[in-house]
Amino acid sequence: MRLFGEDVLPLAAEHIVLALVPVLLGLVISLPLGWWAWRSRGARRILLPLTGVLYTIPSLALFVVMPILLGTRILDPVNVAVALTVYAVALLVRSVVDGLDEVPSEVMTAGVAMGYRPLGLLVGVQLPLAVPVLVAGMRVATVSSFSLVAVGAIIGQGALGALFTQGFERFYTAQIVFGLLAIVILALLFDALWVLVGRLLAPWNRRVARPTSSVEV
Amino acid sequence: MIEFSEVHKAYADGTVALQSLSLTAREGEITVLVGPSGCGKTTTLRMVNRMVDPSSGTVRLDGVDVSTQDPPTLRRGIGYVIQNAGLFPHRSVIDNIATVPVLLGRGRAEARRQAGELLERVGLDPRVGGRYPAQLSGGQQQRVGVARALAGDAPVLLMDEPFSAVDPVVRADLQDELLRLQSELGRTILFVTHDIDEAIRLGDMVAVLRVGGTLAQFAPPSELLAAPVDDFVAGFVGRDRGYRRLQFVGAGSLALSTFPTTGDGWLLVVDDDGRPTGWRQGGDRVALGTVHQEGASLRSALDAALSSPAGRGVAVDDDGRVLGGIEPEAVITLLHRTDALEPADGGDR
Amino acid sequence: MLSSLVAWFSAPAQWSASTGIPARLLQHLGYTALAVLVGAVIAVPLGLYIGHTGRGRLLVVGLANGLRALPELGVLVLFVLLIGLGLTPVVLALMLLAIPPLLAGTYSGISGVDPAAVDAARGIGMTESQILFQVELPNALPLMVAGLRTAVLQVVATATIAAFVSLGGLGRYIVDGQAQRDFTQMAGGAILVALLAIVLEVALQGLQRAVTPGTRRQEPARTDTVTAGG
Repeated sequence: MRLFGEDVLPLAAEHIVLALVPVLLGLVISLPLGWWAWRSRGARRILLPLTGVLYTIPSLALFVVMPILLGTRILDPVNVAVALTVYAVALLVRSVVDGLDEVPSEVMTAGVAMGYRPLGLLVGVQLPLAVPVLVAGMRVATVSSFSLVAVGAIIGQGALGALFTQGFERFYTAQIVFGLLAIVILALLFDALWVLVGRLLAPWNRRVARPTSSVEV
Repeated sequence: MIEFSEVHKAYADGTVALQSLSLTAREGEITVLVGPSGCGKTTTLRMVNRMVDPSSGTVRLDGVDVSTQDPPTLRRGIGYVIQNAGLFPHRSVIDNIATVPVLLGRGRAEARRQAGELLERVGLDPRVGGRYPAQLSGGQQQRVGVARALAGDAPVLLMDEPFSAVDPVVRADLQDELLRLQSELGRTILFVTHDIDEAIRLGDMVAVLRVGGTLAQFAPPSELLAAPVDDFVAGFVGRDRGYRRLQFVGAGSLALSTFPTTGDGWLLVVDDDGRPTGWRQGGDRVALGTVHQEGASLRSALDAALSSPAGRGVAVDDDGRVLGGIEPEAVITLLHRTDALEPADGGDR
Repeated sequence: MLSSLVAWFSAPAQWSASTGIPARLLQHLGYTALAVLVGAVIAVPLGLYIGHTGRGRLLVVGLANGLRALPELGVLVLFVLLIGLGLTPVVLALMLLAIPPLLAGTYSGISGVDPAAVDAARGIGMTESQILFQVELPNALPLMVAGLRTAVLQVVATATIAAFVSLGGLGRYIVDGQAQRDFTQMAGGAILVALLAIVLEVALQGLQRAVTPGTRRQEPARTDTVTAGG
């Protein structure tokens, strides 16, 4: 499908991959890190402030610094992917810690008293109970990832963000509005997907099972 | 059987939780640990399933030193009930109850079937099995907690203030239910509470602990009420202990009086079967007080005497037919005569 | 790489000229302050109103979650195309990004105040505005500052992009470096932006702690340790 002189479908596909892969990768990395930070007070004291600082670094700056740290070329899409993974980890480590913290102490006591070993308790009790908080974290990470991919267009790696840079150069408002809509719709689509996953994984939880009425600050 | 010998527990900061505790919880009995907060009762309980390890001394379960056992394996063989039940919010009631059997490697289907039976056993409708814990009342959750502890067929049950978070009416129900279950199952139960009334109601033996973790007295409830060893125990056992003690004394040899059948005083009205229906004085009908049923404790006899408008209570047999009158003085006389320190067979709890 | 970066940072012109680091930094902070201020003028009263009355809750939730999905680059270029080059479209776009966290922070801060405290205030005869300013607002302050923190960081990051639409600020180094294939300049700009964000984050964290009563929580009473698996 050609629109505004661009083949937008491949751009959209690239956008989805660039936005989602880092979030999923971030989850995989965050689970052990978050568990470690939850378990050890020392790890928590280091990891949580560190991820907090990483999260504050503006995306454009992180994209630009990546080649120095990774030794990649400036136009390599890996730069954007790794930077977004860093953001996802920064956000999700906190979610994992919060999610594990949320497990009521009497539930932990009961689990231990019934003879769960640490890994069994983690997989059978703690992680399932952390699902609502994890899903909330994944939603925020996913939505912001879709919007951050577009920033990469400034350094020539932005998938649908290219619609913004080109639209700006050509003074073509419709192209920009189209890009905005496309990215917002994709982001909300995958946001809804996480809500669905949350309901399937945590049917016992009213917060996930019912429409959310809370906001993350 | 659970044996504590010379068990001592001190924490790294120097706080002593328990000092040379020695006591034995006998097979098939309910042994209650009671005391104010900070007396180490929960610490004691948790030593049995190694949630806490003693600094010195040994805890033996059926003769085996628990410190030689792998904690998770040990724990799967011991039922555990805590305040607020600690149910898994993400699992249905049935799957909560089936937890330990599944951990023990029994089939899930079999575990669920057994869980369904246990639900009925603890007095719950089997239909609640599919619900999540959040959809149950506090009392129901606590019943599920008991069912879950029974599910592994563990001969030993540890209960840590299991009924403290529910309201008094529900608590009384749960206590009755536990006594009924225990009469069927005969498990060895170690029960922790801060409530002396609960301890007296449930315990075959009661251990009163002092702050700082020393054992003040270990005795059957009646003895605790009749002969507290010191001021601490007397104070802890609390008010009305003379009266409450009566429930452990049988009224079998109580001298009954006969009721007058005519005259101006109080006349007992009975129906054709000889069951009392009320009192008559002059022309007026007056309601009965409480009635003492044959075989009940001296507490019930005294209550019948004191609550009767006529100044004497009514004793009835198992079918409710009048046996005779109870004078308050007769109760006191009996109490003095038997010296009443021994728990009698007829005592109810 | 490192030596060229050091050279870039230590060039005298870098610290005096109108295109030098201090000037760019001031521009960057100026855009940020202006956008957050304008955003706060709109978002805080709205948040107070909605939090106090409970009216329009869905608006906040929808706005806060929906606007988060807006790509900042797209919003920025769109405003410039609609309004024309200059400061106004940039500040408006940045303001739009500052509103959701400010609104969400104010709203959840106010609505999260213990209803019993509000009830008690009403019970002792406080007027609605006394309740709002003497009971709800002080209790809501920590969350309001949390919202401010998120807003500032979001705006600082997006102000970097403002260079793409011909404005100043630290982002200039990145955009100019990209155009001139001068990677040293790009990296220098990126490092400056990152440092600025981190300094602001630390400062706002300090502020948040300062307005949170009883931050130093008591050590919880020691309970028996639960060790899974012993």
